[in-house]
Amino acid sequence: MAFLKMEGVSKFFPGVIANKNVSLEVDQGEILALLGENGAGKTTLMNILYGLYSADEGEIYINDKKVFFSSPRKAIKAGIGMVHQHFMLVQTLTVLQNIILGLKPKGYPFIDYKKITNQIKLLSNKYGLAIDVYKRISELSVGEQQRVEILKSLYREAKLLIFDEPTAVLTPQETDEFFDILQKLKEEGHAIIIITHRMSEIMQVSDRVTILRDGKNVVSLKTNETNPHELSLYMIGRELKDDTTKNDVKTKGELLLSIKNVTLKEKSETKLNHINLNIHRGEIIGIAGVDGNGQNELANIIAGIRKCDDGEIVFSGESINKRTVLERFNRGIAYVPDDRHKDGLVMDLDVSHNLMMRSYKKEPFSKHLVLNRQSIIKMADNAIKTYSIKTPNTTTDVKLLSGGNQQKVILARELYENPELIVVSQPTRGLDIGATENVRMLLSEMRNSNKSVLLISADLEEVLILSDQIAVMFGGQIVGIMNNDENLDMQKLGALMGGHLDQPSDVQEQGILMGSHLKEVSKQG
Amino acid sequence: MLEQMFTVAFLTTFLTSSVRMAVPLIFAGLGETFSEKAGILNIGVEAIMLSGAFFSFAATYVTGNLWLGLIGGMIGGMMVSLIHAVFSICLRKDQTVTGIALNMFILGATSFMFKILVNNNPDFPQISTFHKIAIPMLCDIPVIGPAFFNQDIIVYASYVLIILSTLFLYGTTWGLSLTAVGEHPRAADTVGIKVYTIRYLAAMINGVLGGLGGAYLTLVQLGVFMENVTSGRGYIALAVVIFGRRHPIGVFLAALLFGAADAFQFRLQAIGIQLPSQYLTMLPYVVTLVVLLFSAKGSSDPQSLGKPYIGDAR
Repeated sequence: MAFLKMEGVSKFFPGVIANKNVSLEVDQGEILALLGENGAGKTTLMNILYGLYSADEGEIYINDKKVFFSSPRKAIKAGIGMVHQHFMLVQTLTVLQNIILGLKPKGYPFIDYKKITNQIKLLSNKYGLAIDVYKRISELSVGEQQRVEILKSLYREAKLLIFDEPTAVLTPQETDEFFDILQKLKEEGHAIIIITHRMSEIMQVSDRVTILRDGKNVVSLKTNETNPHELSLYMIGRELKDDTTKNDVKTKGELLLSIKNVTLKEKSETKLNHINLNIHRGEIIGIAGVDGNGQNELANIIAGIRKCDDGEIVFSGESINKRTVLERFNRGIAYVPDDRHKDGLVMDLDVSHNLMMRSYKKEPFSKHLVLNRQSIIKMADNAIKTYSIKTPNTTTDVKLLSGGNQQKVILARELYENPELIVVSQPTRGLDIGATENVRMLLSEMRNSNKSVLLISADLEEVLILSDQIAVMFGGQIVGIMNNDENLDMQKLGALMGGHLDQPSDVQEQGILMGSHLKEVSKQG
Repeated sequence: MLEQMFTVAFLTTFLTSSVRMAVPLIFAGLGETFSEKAGILNIGVEAIMLSGAFFSFAATYVTGNLWLGLIGGMIGGMMVSLIHAVFSICLRKDQTVTGIALNMFILGATSFMFKILVNNNPDFPQISTFHKIAIPMLCDIPVIGPAFFNQDIIVYASYVLIILSTLFLYGTTWGLSLTAVGEHPRAADTVGIKVYTIRYLAAMINGVLGGLGGAYLTLVQLGVFMENVTSGRGYIALAVVIFGRRHPIGVFLAALLFGAADAFQFRLQAIGIQLPSQYLTMLPYVVTLVVLLFSAKGSSDPQSLGKPYIGDAR
């Protein structure tokens, strides 16, 4: 008897089949991995289970009793807890306040802080979820916030816990800690569903795997009877191409971009703290680090969106400190921002307009302030072919395109004038495996044709796959630069990302050494 | 001139009228605090107050009963707030535009209804107002006593309301839910809090309290109604909310500051200072501008202030 059984569940959105006849089950003391590409319907399925959507067809059973959840409140009551990918926590409230939010705890409607604190302490001791309950959420790290979410579910006596992409934003150390917590939960008899597309994690923690593709069930497997290769075959329905992202050109070219002692302040906060970084031709430098440690600011000051308060940026031997965004682009600096919808595209404009946005002032796209529609359409048609952008036509609004195709539009625009350097921020965030593969190939092609790439990604795996060198950012500083070769010390990398600068005592030294080594190279260059 | 201002008598009357001037702002500010904490930015406080002022006057004028007047004021304010709520919560219209439209609509509507109400009466219609009730012992404290503890019942109600609101917002799970709805409605939704219900309730509280604020003008301060009787107090109440950082006690202190500015210009006029009266009437509004200039914007705003919540969004 399984704790949870979903049978023949379907969900239709206008024009889209999100789930079609999906079934799965999970037992207490078991970890089920729900695997699938973006848009395969994993999150929709879990939202149905959690009462956020109602299913159009199919049944849900808990302990063999048929249930129907019209709201999350009912799902919570039935013992279901969900840790969303974007945490559902109120930043201005404290841990304790978030945990009891929506409940009627002891002393209702007043809050008996002492009693509740003790209740939470009991839980956190039992599961090893140490946390200060009086801290505000905004003061916590991502890993700690996740712990609050778990405690929130446990406080509601959840028997089944659903995790949506739980490791996407964690450092390697935090991921390890998270897996320990998962094991604890499993031992205590909880049923667990974890949504992910990371093969290594599935192999490491899950007992069984259920795979979705295009909203449908593909297969359910025991983890110890399968392997990552088989899983990815089921997931994307075809073989992945060979790894094309390897660096063929091993020798570094001349120095292209040099960031010297750059500092950026916002109000009283130091966003970038004396950054030094050199990028040569024919290399990809990866910036690793947890989101919000200055990566965006770094990208912004290179692209020219923000001007640094101190220091110098030298591109091809010329100081570009005073250059505008457009001037920098014309000199060969392209930029793919992390937020496609907000910064990368104008969502209400069509594909052709978004494609010409960097170049519209130039002939043949415009002459004497008048746009030349024909040449714009021609360019757009070309771009659509070259980058195989899936769109009905050039005049379709970009907001109607899928995430992968939107990203291709941005890349096509940025690469149109053959830049020397491209700064890419979270280039594959939210993309499915096919599109991810595509984007990564484009980036390594850049490198192989003796251009440079600055890759900023919160996805450590991506940084490891693509980069020649890895710089780690923490608290607005570059806390270490490492060569990405077989000698790379993952432990140190993880420690640096988590801001543990002194624990492995030699890391910082090495970082500084690397830095000075780079300086010498740059002098020679 | 200066000697005139630094006497106990002057200070006492000044402080007393400061409190009286502050009361409408306290009520309206508290109401708007509830609304904004739940994520609804209602610029239409002016309309709520004006409607409250008119209906409280109308009810008392017709029935001769001040208490019915108070109830009329609450209902009048609530009706306006509910219109705003329907537009901003259900129809998801722009909250600022809706608020401005309401301000203009109610200004016209109340003037029109007032004309109908007093049509047959050639005299300037007047109603009796609430009496002062001195609180024994406390009212004997020099200066502060008469100012704070020799007032009418509505003033005392505002003190109680401030304490209750503080308790409600910071000491109960209801307050938590309200805050969560304004900060992160989706998070509230996922733990089973009814976002729309709470937003409607907050809007109703805003209407009731704003209506009371308006009623105070007619039932206590003036005893009459006239066109645009609020003359911008609703906008000042918005400034009170920002300056008071959406905390009931902050709202109380901010309202006192603005009340004092208002009272000060009256006092100066009374002493007969050699300045055109227009300059003096400007004072509360100038204080508003200066205060807004110096109060840090943004940090204390609820994250979802002014944003409609779409529950079933993909």
